[in-house]
Amino acid sequence: MSDESKGLSKAQEIYLNRSQRAKELKAAGKKVIGYPCVYVPLEMLTALDLIPYRTYGDIREPVTETDRALPTSFCSIMRTCLDCALKGKDDFLDGMVTVHACDPQEKTARVWESYTNYPYFHFIDMLSTIRPESIEYFKSQLNDFRKTLEAFTGQKLSADKLKPAIKAHNQQRALVQQLYELTKPAPPLISGTELVQVVKALMSLPVAEGNDLLNQVISEVKSRTDGPKRKPARLLIWSSTLDDTDIMQVFEAKANVVMDETCGGIRAYRGSVKLTPDPLDGLADYYMKEITCARTFRQATLGETKKDYKKDIQSRFGYLKGIVRDWKINGAILLLVRYCDPFAFEMPSLRDYLDSIGTPSTYIEYDYTIGALAPLKTRVEAFIETIS
Amino acid sequence: MVTEEKKKVINRLKSMYPLRAKVNDTYLKSIEAIKAGKPTAWAMLNFYYGDPILKAMDIEVVYPENYGAVAAAMGVAQQYLEQAYADGFPTHLCGYSLASLGYTSRMMREFKGEVPPEAPFGGMPKPLFLLSSSAICDARYKWFQALGRYMDVPVWPLESPSPGAKELFIEGAFETMVDTGVKHLGDFVVFVEGILGKKMDWNKLDETVDLMIEVNRVWYEVNELRKAKPCPMHSRDFWSAMPAALFLMGDIEDSLQLYQNMYQEVKDRVSNHIGAIPEEKYRLLFAELPPWHSLGFFDKLAERGWNFAVESFGYRPPIPLDLGGISDPLERITRFNLQFFAGYAEEARRQNLPSGSFAYPYIKYAREWKCDGAMLHPLISCRSASTHLPFVANMLVETLKVPSLTIEGDIVDLRLFNPEDALAKAEPFEETMEYYRKVRKQEGFDW
Repeated sequence: MSDESKGLSKAQEIYLNRSQRAKELKAAGKKVIGYPCVYVPLEMLTALDLIPYRTYGDIREPVTETDRALPTSFCSIMRTCLDCALKGKDDFLDGMVTVHACDPQEKTARVWESYTNYPYFHFIDMLSTIRPESIEYFKSQLNDFRKTLEAFTGQKLSADKLKPAIKAHNQQRALVQQLYELTKPAPPLISGTELVQVVKALMSLPVAEGNDLLNQVISEVKSRTDGPKRKPARLLIWSSTLDDTDIMQVFEAKANVVMDETCGGIRAYRGSVKLTPDPLDGLADYYMKEITCARTFRQATLGETKKDYKKDIQSRFGYLKGIVRDWKINGAILLLVRYCDPFAFEMPSLRDYLDSIGTPSTYIEYDYTIGALAPLKTRVEAFIETIS
Repeated sequence: MVTEEKKKVINRLKSMYPLRAKVNDTYLKSIEAIKAGKPTAWAMLNFYYGDPILKAMDIEVVYPENYGAVAAAMGVAQQYLEQAYADGFPTHLCGYSLASLGYTSRMMREFKGEVPPEAPFGGMPKPLFLLSSSAICDARYKWFQALGRYMDVPVWPLESPSPGAKELFIEGAFETMVDTGVKHLGDFVVFVEGILGKKMDWNKLDETVDLMIEVNRVWYEVNELRKAKPCPMHSRDFWSAMPAALFLMGDIEDSLQLYQNMYQEVKDRVSNHIGAIPEEKYRLLFAELPPWHSLGFFDKLAERGWNFAVESFGYRPPIPLDLGGISDPLERITRFNLQFFAGYAEEARRQNLPSGSFAYPYIKYAREWKCDGAMLHPLISCRSASTHLPFVANMLVETLKVPSLTIEGDIVDLRLFNPEDALAKAEPFEETMEYYRKVRKQEGFDW
């Protein structure tokens, strides 16, 4: 990593060579723990001085090794993530933590653990609702996670260690929220492509280094004069994952992407973890309730014995209304990675909701490969023309 | 006449027919009862977790998963699929879900809540509530949430823990799952009571749970008898008989008697060395749901000496366990349900197979039922039921030297299964099975 680079150029460097810093830290004696999903509570890793490292797939890498383990008609993100692991690209990791955020991840985790040989591997289970017993169960799963981490590291994960880690990650959330404030002006001060680079860099660094990077980026972006140009549309992208600049550039060719509601964007950084007497309470509550992934079954009222569709979609998608208003969004692209069931089932209802708040939207499906981007571009351009 | 004789290659159990008839009769009676005003729920297959409560509360239950298969077999599913596509649902979603989404769209929007005229077996009348399940796959709870577009009907999302195979053994983890399950079921009872405006009859629930456990114990023992050589009962009889135990269809005491009759018939066959096919040359394991629309395919394989002795873990009864000392029926239900999901975990752990129930049951079945091969049937639109199959194939050949034949198909879209193509693969696969017989012998396996 170049010592001179700062801010956006540093984020870009890390984006292009993600594992370099993690490998440097490993060489210095740290342990690096991979995770494929934003539902893994990184605070617990940070508290034990473990380096969280988000494992991604690669849209440029043909999936070859995964075919011996998973069917072809399966979540293409999990397929490419596993493929990279099976090809040894994650071999520097000291461990892996997976979570039952969705069925493909749960199934892939079992294969992953069987076909790889990390010194540490842990699976966290999650229920699908935000009922009290679901949150209590998740807390018990986090407690089990704590036990295996303690056995792996030989250290106690006490509340005294966990609280500073929660504060550091809350600071990161606050900084990312500040960064996204900078997409509110027209034109935005930072592009969607740059945001992808920054977020991916954050998910490759220890939290303190990520926070330093964010401070640099925010300072640079606020004072820059070479920001994105104004384009005819201001878009919201709603998807499971959007973590590659080539994909983002398909949208940004003719529009400003001012909000990426994906787990390669702001999704992991909304709100903050409450500092509760038992820190696992705050973590369980935050991860179950605050992350707006389609995997969670939300209801207008828990245990409701009557149903009202308008209230129902408000409870599931209502958070988007303020975003559309405050970021002056005039179009939403619902980007579905093929075979992602939780997001796929949402499509008609989300379009109903966006219609109800007067936001034009389109649903586009692709298979998370570089080859899928050309047809994606055609459809995106057609949509932008209709709303511009 | 030749065709007629071919149909009889598989020696079907006489005791299977009343169990199969019971499934159809129960469905038709349910529809009549619902039309007469009896409270009804649409439910996902919930692995003995929600069904006993519905049964004890005297609620008629319709399973849209089953109805998707019925609609496919009766040739009406295609229009439901197209309706779902037109409504904006992606085409690669679970075929059962698309069929019921399209059906419901048509029922609620075109027929104002009345069953569409083309719907087979009286259709699925509008329910009082929906019971989804988070077990096995995401579709089985997201799909019922999506039905909210068409019907203002409440949903109870039945939760189902799925811990990792080794994490299950962390001290206290299993009992936490039990506590969570009992609490969740208690809340579900309150929900049902609120909907129906009546209280749970706990004595009735107690009896229902005991009967459910006993029915599944007898059904388990029936399948244990199939380890005999020749195998006395073909997978076709398994599939015909399984719904009464898996879905608690109709009167459970009656089901118990029918499964006991089946046990006796299978036992007699074992005593008399009577196989399910005339000459058993190969014993096979079948994984995932069969091609319901092309079951005659198995007769052709039976002619070649292929006997199907054991099937997928996902539809078999749990390994029996004694719950007699537990007085709370909700706890008995929870533990029985968890036994289904985690019953193989301890054995898998002893054998250092981290996949747990994902693959281990198939290894156990192939070894104990002494299978020569596995036929794997991945379902294009049911990914959760198919995800593990490449892994299972690898594990079987690596650990037991048992080869697999993969034949793709689907649960609703009949065009995706090609029986001719599948049969063309039978002869070369026999050579593979012969080869691995020799390998197993060389490596000291006893079959």
